[in-house]
Amino acid sequence: MTVGPGWYMTLAAALFSIGAIGMLVRRNALVMFMSIELMLNAVNLTFVAAGRALGTLDGQVSVFFVLVVAAAEVVVGLAIIVAVFRTRATASVDELSELKG
Amino acid sequence: MIFPDVSWAAIAPEIALVAGAVAILLVDVQWKPEPRVLGGIVALSVVAAAVLSVGQWFRLDTPSDITIPFGGMIAFDRVSVLARFVLLAVTAMGVAGGWRLFERLGRRAAEALALVLLATVGFSFMASSIHLVMIFLGLEVGSISLYVLAGITRERPDSDEAAMKYFLLGSFASAVFIYGVALLFAGTGRLALLGQRAFLDANIVTRPAVLLIGMALVIVGLGFKVSAAPFHTWAPDVYQGAPAGVVGFMAAGAKIGGFAALTRILFTGFPLMADEWASVVAIISALSMGIGVVLALVQDDVRRMLAYSGVAHAGFILTGVVAGAAAEPGIWFYLAAYTIQLVAGFAIVAAVTGSAAGRSGLDAFAGLAVRSPFLAAAFTVTLLGMAGIPLTSGFVAKFGVFVSAWQAGFSWLVIVAVLASVVAFGVYLRVIVVMYMREPGEAASPTPSTAARWMLVAATVSTILFGVLPQPLLDLARNAFSV
Repeated sequence: MTVGPGWYMTLAAALFSIGAIGMLVRRNALVMFMSIELMLNAVNLTFVAAGRALGTLDGQVSVFFVLVVAAAEVVVGLAIIVAVFRTRATASVDELSELKG
Repeated sequence: MIFPDVSWAAIAPEIALVAGAVAILLVDVQWKPEPRVLGGIVALSVVAAAVLSVGQWFRLDTPSDITIPFGGMIAFDRVSVLARFVLLAVTAMGVAGGWRLFERLGRRAAEALALVLLATVGFSFMASSIHLVMIFLGLEVGSISLYVLAGITRERPDSDEAAMKYFLLGSFASAVFIYGVALLFAGTGRLALLGQRAFLDANIVTRPAVLLIGMALVIVGLGFKVSAAPFHTWAPDVYQGAPAGVVGFMAAGAKIGGFAALTRILFTGFPLMADEWASVVAIISALSMGIGVVLALVQDDVRRMLAYSGVAHAGFILTGVVAGAAAEPGIWFYLAAYTIQLVAGFAIVAAVTGSAAGRSGLDAFAGLAVRSPFLAAAFTVTLLGMAGIPLTSGFVAKFGVFVSAWQAGFSWLVIVAVLASVVAFGVYLRVIVVMYMREPGEAASPTPSTAARWMLVAATVSTILFGVLPQPLLDLARNAFSV
């Protein structure tokens, strides 16, 4: 039995869902951020699988763009999380409740 | 080896803006000048970009004149130029309106100003790209700059909380958007919008599930960015916590970029699936208007009120999106009118409650008419414009998109929209009453910077002028579209 692109896309959909659920239920900023990274990697897997199935390079090229954007997000995101951690010594978003109404 | 067709003319305004951002950072490292000098560089590059855009406008003969250089990534047409005009106006007014913030940031001013320019470049590319990956890049360049701007006064707990919330929810939205793009790619085998349209034209899609899910995710992702309900939850917290001096630009820039990308994707890439997306967009629109005005009514913080009113306005603009490409001039008139009012509103908030501060309780506006008649009058005109009172640009804007939606057969949506507009009037009236009827407290008179004064004059005049004489701007918008 061969593993076709459809299986990879199903796996990617599962990974994306796990990431999205993790983002919604976890309360630690770092874990939420990891969930977002998981979602972006699911996107990459979808791009590669679809590109392979369709016989075009566009899918694999797109992965580079997504990777670079994810790296840029890591730079800014970790800096913001560190700044928050310095002022309150916690990375739990439940502690961030100054702003509500 | 085939080289892609490089047309520097198509991206000359963006190059001017990037050059400005780089120049600011280099000049700051070498000479550590006053913020005033850096502001001059911003002004220079924005004016250069505007002049280059005017040149592009006249180089493009007709609305249907479109070339797609850079391997089909960039659309060189009047739509992108029109979007960039609005964006540059908002950038200039945003920086002028929040000038006190940049003065106070000291050594950090260069970073903040460079980020403002880079965010403008990102949103400008969102408007001028015709390829889904390029739209994603523009979205991210703009969004990541805004995450940093929200936390630029990071010592203040409000500000870093706002940055963190904006970052987490914004990145989540970006991931949803790009997954939608991946699914659209899987469904059509193409990433360029015109290619996708041609594919749908030539093929009958037998199993549309992947396409439909992809399209839904793209709409959700962009719905986050323009703060449409039910994806608006980040907006009030971010607008309240971020330094007041940049909130106007943040809110307006994200709305322009988001709607530019949304209209481009839906109208250029997927007009053949309009039956599918129009009903989804109509529901999001109705939810945004309802949730926006009701929650705006109960806010005691002017910034949260403006944030929820922004949710409602996203809903109003979406009534035009529902109507399809025929409504595009109306959508852009609305965006131009509303985003100018938005930056003006936040410039006034920044002047009254401090440009680096978070929070702007309604009490701070008590008796503003006595303490600063100029600011009170400007805020009144701005709020009436947002409410859509006749003889303001807001009325013409609302009228335009509502008529389009009605003609497209969404009469129920127009009824919801009109009801929401009536309720929204109460939202704005409440602030006006506080400014004119309540006794001023001990608070000192606010002193906006000279730049902010001129910017407010310009915004107020444009709100009234485009309400009384909307025709020139409407013609300009119509000349950008072939409908």
